[in-house]
Amino acid sequence: MNNPEHLSLHGRHLLDRRHFLGTAGLSAAGLGLAGLLDNEGLLANDSQTVSGELPIRPNIDPNNPYAPRSSHFNATAKQVLVVYLPGAVSHVDTFDYKPALSRLHGRKPPGIPAVTFEGPTGNIAKPFWKFNPHGQSGKMVSDLLPHLAEQVDDLCFLHSMTTNTSAHPQGENFMNTGFTMEGFPSFGAWVTYALGTESHELPSFVAINDPRGLARSGKNNFGNGFLPAAFQGTDFNSRNPPNNLHRPKGLSRDADRRTAELLQRLNAQHLEKYPSDSNLAGRIASYELAGRMQTSVPEVMDMSTESASTLKHYGVDQGSELHREYAKNCILARRLIEKGVRVVQLYNGSDPAGGNGITNWDSHSDILKTHAMQAEIMDQPTAALLADMKQRGLLEHTLVVWATEFGRMPFLQTNGTGRDHNPNAFTCFLAGAGVKKGFSYGKSDEFGFKAAVDKLTVYDFNATLLHLMGLNHERLTFYHNGLERRLTNVHGQVVSEIIA
Amino acid sequence: MIQHFLRIIARQQNSFRWVSGVSFFFISLLVSADEIKFERDIAPILKERCIDCHGEAKEKSGLRLDTRANMLRGGDSGLAAVIPGNPEKSYLLEVVKHLDPDVMMPPDEDRIPAKEIHLLERWIKAGSIWPGQMATVEEMKSDHWSFQAIRRPDSPEEYASHSNPIDRFLLKRLDEDKLTFSDPAVPRSLIRRVSIVLTGLPPTLAETKTFLAAYEKDSDQAYTLLVDRLLDSAHFGERWAQHWLDVIRWAETNGSESNMYRKNAWIYRDYVIRALNEDKPYDRFLFEQIAGDSVGEGDATGFLVAGPHVPVATVGQEPAARRQARADRMDEIIQTVGASALGVTIGCARCHNHKFDPISIRDYYAMTAVFEDVEFGSRFPELAADHPRRLRGQELYGKIRKVHAELKPMGPWVEDWVGYKELHFDPVKAQKVRIKFNWGGVRLDEIEIFGPTDHGRNVAAASEGTQTFSPPEMAIARADLKHVNDGKYGTQAWGAKAPADGKSKPWIEFTFTQPHDIERIRLSTNREDFFETAYLEGLNKFNFGPYRVEIPSEEGQWKQVASTMTFDQQNKKHTSRKGLLTTLQELITLVNEEGPKPSFVARFIKPVDTHILMRGSPENPRDEVLPAGLSQLGGDLNLRTNASGPKRRAAFAQWLIKPSNPLVPRVAVNRIWHHVFGQGIVTTTSDFGAAGTPPTHPGLLEWLAAEFMQPASRIARSNETQAWSIKHMIRLMVMSDAFRQSSAPGKEGITADADSQLLWRYPPKRVEAEVIRDSILQASDTLNRTIGGRSYRIHNVKKRYAQWKVTDNHGSETWRRMIYQERMRRVDDQMFTAFDFPDCGQVRAKRPVSTTPLQALNLMNSDFVMDQSSLIAERARQDTNDHPELAIQRCFELLLGRPPTIKEQASCLDLVREKELQLVCRAIINSNEFAFLP
Repeated sequence: MNNPEHLSLHGRHLLDRRHFLGTAGLSAAGLGLAGLLDNEGLLANDSQTVSGELPIRPNIDPNNPYAPRSSHFNATAKQVLVVYLPGAVSHVDTFDYKPALSRLHGRKPPGIPAVTFEGPTGNIAKPFWKFNPHGQSGKMVSDLLPHLAEQVDDLCFLHSMTTNTSAHPQGENFMNTGFTMEGFPSFGAWVTYALGTESHELPSFVAINDPRGLARSGKNNFGNGFLPAAFQGTDFNSRNPPNNLHRPKGLSRDADRRTAELLQRLNAQHLEKYPSDSNLAGRIASYELAGRMQTSVPEVMDMSTESASTLKHYGVDQGSELHREYAKNCILARRLIEKGVRVVQLYNGSDPAGGNGITNWDSHSDILKTHAMQAEIMDQPTAALLADMKQRGLLEHTLVVWATEFGRMPFLQTNGTGRDHNPNAFTCFLAGAGVKKGFSYGKSDEFGFKAAVDKLTVYDFNATLLHLMGLNHERLTFYHNGLERRLTNVHGQVVSEIIA
Repeated sequence: MIQHFLRIIARQQNSFRWVSGVSFFFISLLVSADEIKFERDIAPILKERCIDCHGEAKEKSGLRLDTRANMLRGGDSGLAAVIPGNPEKSYLLEVVKHLDPDVMMPPDEDRIPAKEIHLLERWIKAGSIWPGQMATVEEMKSDHWSFQAIRRPDSPEEYASHSNPIDRFLLKRLDEDKLTFSDPAVPRSLIRRVSIVLTGLPPTLAETKTFLAAYEKDSDQAYTLLVDRLLDSAHFGERWAQHWLDVIRWAETNGSESNMYRKNAWIYRDYVIRALNEDKPYDRFLFEQIAGDSVGEGDATGFLVAGPHVPVATVGQEPAARRQARADRMDEIIQTVGASALGVTIGCARCHNHKFDPISIRDYYAMTAVFEDVEFGSRFPELAADHPRRLRGQELYGKIRKVHAELKPMGPWVEDWVGYKELHFDPVKAQKVRIKFNWGGVRLDEIEIFGPTDHGRNVAAASEGTQTFSPPEMAIARADLKHVNDGKYGTQAWGAKAPADGKSKPWIEFTFTQPHDIERIRLSTNREDFFETAYLEGLNKFNFGPYRVEIPSEEGQWKQVASTMTFDQQNKKHTSRKGLLTTLQELITLVNEEGPKPSFVARFIKPVDTHILMRGSPENPRDEVLPAGLSQLGGDLNLRTNASGPKRRAAFAQWLIKPSNPLVPRVAVNRIWHHVFGQGIVTTTSDFGAAGTPPTHPGLLEWLAAEFMQPASRIARSNETQAWSIKHMIRLMVMSDAFRQSSAPGKEGITADADSQLLWRYPPKRVEAEVIRDSILQASDTLNRTIGGRSYRIHNVKKRYAQWKVTDNHGSETWRRMIYQERMRRVDDQMFTAFDFPDCGQVRAKRPVSTTPLQALNLMNSDFVMDQSSLIAERARQDTNDHPELAIQRCFELLLGRPPTIKEQASCLDLVREKELQLVCRAIINSNEFAFLP
């Protein structure tokens, strides 16, 4: 990354000045300008980010763009697992207990808007499931999620989340890329751009998609945006390997090996003409990694090495077909984390065209049925995943994020059976490395209609996730089209209160 | 009071900070000045409440309140803190009164005392008199290099022995680092390099042979002829169109949730290819992108809607969300124009004045005013009188009219125009019309009724005053009756269903303001989809079934004028009718495909007033702005608020291409340079502002920009002497010694300039996804070289809210150049997306080049590569009569343009003897040599 384009504004000006004065010429670029500037202490007092601090640019080796890189500061979380729930989980029916809704059930208190996302509004509706206290923390959780309820003492709830949109695709984009518009790098791409990966045989960032297909924003949720393609998420799940992973049909193992050997020879001869060309060497290295992936990915997908009790624990042979599939994806997620994959995204839902009857958490009508179907898939395996990771010690260095794009309204739609989108209050939770346990942060108002105490934006949320990974969200930037771009645009405050 | 905004530039630290200035003409003050005294009444307030943060020391939000001029200028918000005589519009008062919950000053404190606010208000009203500071603010211009006028420098004399001025500039700069050009490239590398750079395709075997022979005799002449041939090749336009489409992130789907296909959007891609092949002058090309509709080049306006957008259906019902979505769509247009033509990041000024460049929030919204008539959608593009598509349409419509005349005596008939159905019947006069449906449930987005004269006038439209009625008990929620004649197509439709008693069926009645002759009724369920999209499951379904049309008789009895249920009887009665109807339907299908057709190249609407949106929020409209270009570059267009959309865009386009606008030619030549040499003279090819990189060779860039506008160089053929010739610029560059030198590394060069930015060698670089794919197809001799037309498809026909799925990315239908592959936003084509193929979401000034194991897997294991490897091997065997050694040689020649070395030949022969020749092809396709520009 010695191209001056990837340097800070100050670095570029400095480079220009050197050219102009002819003191160092481009030798600076040859040696790695960033390093040179660092040595001279020139980067210390720069003021190019909004916060007035200098961007911290990862020192990416073109030979190995995935080599592990150090974080900006020490952090306990080294890896991150994001469980993403497309469609918008109803906070008032799961983790955000609002007794006022039962009191006012069927009424229409003042202050409720006439029109929300899908149209005219109906009356207040009490939670569709009963709430009970759980764990030592006594956290109120609804009967919709009995298994996650058992884990509450390990979870850290964020009850005052807000977002900028009430449309799903924009909401997914916002949660996963920090922008409602398309084409921005995803959270996982930013993290792997910054940190590389510990795994030498698996992709640095894996998106485990729902068996029903991709979520509404598709690849944008795990794409590289304008970051180099090397940092895009690789898309596979317990059933489907990445595209073109396997040796082509009809090609013997031996023939495949022989092709690779010939290729190696051709490349070696070619490299003689361009000694020490890092782009060529990097490409050769990528073939080696691809070769390792051909073994390591099927291995990590192979559930037969899991003990019978583990399989049972995750519920791979019980419940609905989708439950079983999702349970296998949960095991895959744990196995990827065990292997050192930096970022794992695990989806629980797809776009609305993906399945039969129920595809994600969106519940505009008959929420009683649709949320129950979706919870049956998600609850037990996710809880098992958390418990298993805890038991194996993985939570000590892995941050777990459970997130959805917005909440649902405390009142019904005019159809009387569903809840519309609520961008002004929703709940996500965190767990694992660096996060307080059995803790709840922020509050929505008495109806769960709007965030009321310690309101959080998606920028704050992402800033906090990066912080937990040891990254300064204001200084993790990439120069693109005139701007030092960030995951958090020009916003975001780290929520220090939730940090253990 | 007259305000007149001027520009001021102040240079600070490393960057330019820009603020707007105000000068004004004095008018006599109406309020006696002695009521308020600045020193006594106002200065203490400012000192106590404001200056700590908004003075020389701190300057928060770019605002200073320490001089009168600074107050009039305002801060980053783009709003004047004080407008003398106008307290209502003075932002200072708004924030101290705490009217805006987001900006309340002083921050985190109670409001300042009402008395002080009142004093400020009176002071402003009285003209904001500040003794000693009443002089006019001087107008200042940006001193940033890219905003300065272009002056052609002389090329360095000391290198006069080099005929190409480009070489002289480059050598002078190399000299400073004690470097010089490398040796000339070997002819095999040279032809491969120049062929790929100019056409995106490597040379064929025959082309290489011819060139090598000619090069032996006269290397200069051989190379000149080669460049001639390549610039004349129709593949030239394909290659360079790809670069342009990248910059404007053009794609054939909307993006967003439904990510629907944009119908016939590809006509824009064909326009770009054609324009480049014809060497359309770049200034003309740009004009047509923005205002092609006014000069018979309607297909060029696909540029305006190149970016992604969220369709109304997925924005939701909230009015604020809809306003935000419209503002986002306008922003996409501004980004397209900014990144492609101007090379500045105008989008930064959407919420506040640009941090680095002389672009104000006012400039931003003045530019959106230019495009206020543009909406993302389809229209029938304006085509010149001699456009083949237009001529074909005229021919076919003539035939249709003939069939109509023959059908007339045989009773009513229905035509299926795919998106709508049209019932024809004998003209009748009526003031009321009833349509009675036969189905129990119907859904129609629009019903239109036409007469025999005034062909396009829909007398059923609400805008004609026509009233509609349908029994209320048949109404369906969220499918209001008003939608049936509101002139809007799409998902907002009228629906009705029969009551449970089963006795009556849905019907609708139209009452005109006066009797009309009528003869045609057009019905549709979702005509918007027909106009705008394709490849969607359930597209163009009609949810209304058979129906009857009735009008009241003089006695008030309803009588039938036509029914879609009597056609069988009519066909029996008139034996020629059925055949005529078949002919008619065939003609309609033909005209839909070959005539002028709705295409996703922007829809035009009536412009509305444009306002500055404070902090970018549509909920905070401020001053109205008139359409204009950048004020720093004399962007005033002399347009009034009622100027028509086409007039706005044409005036803006004229401003854009004025010789006095230095950004356009600089950005253009730099981008051409980037594609020829792999790296721009300004490496940030779409940011020529202060946050971009400065040019590595400022003099060279100036010389090229000047040459572009006023060509003077001898290195051109007679047909490229016109101004703004892209081919002339490319020729100049590829004829240089710099382009023709070897790419081999040299010790001195690597040490001093590892990135080869100074061009001591030709920098090797991985080729783009397209080059890899097209080269493979050419090697197997399966490349279909047809220029233009519908994109080849690799995806399924999908459900509205489903993701696209790759169905076949390697079959023979796809054996065209990759620029014709349907270009989908954020869809993985399971092959070349891994090769940094853009996702077309954000403006991508240039493609990154990265390396990932996914590339290796795709290129090793995909069906495409396996199939093509066999085809290439088969071709090589045929060419050589199955001679193993010669066949290996042929594979190298086909893929790499050279024979194998002895060592390579030996390695391959082992493999061929034991396995298959196609494995050799598979290995070469994956080799670094194949993937890198030599």
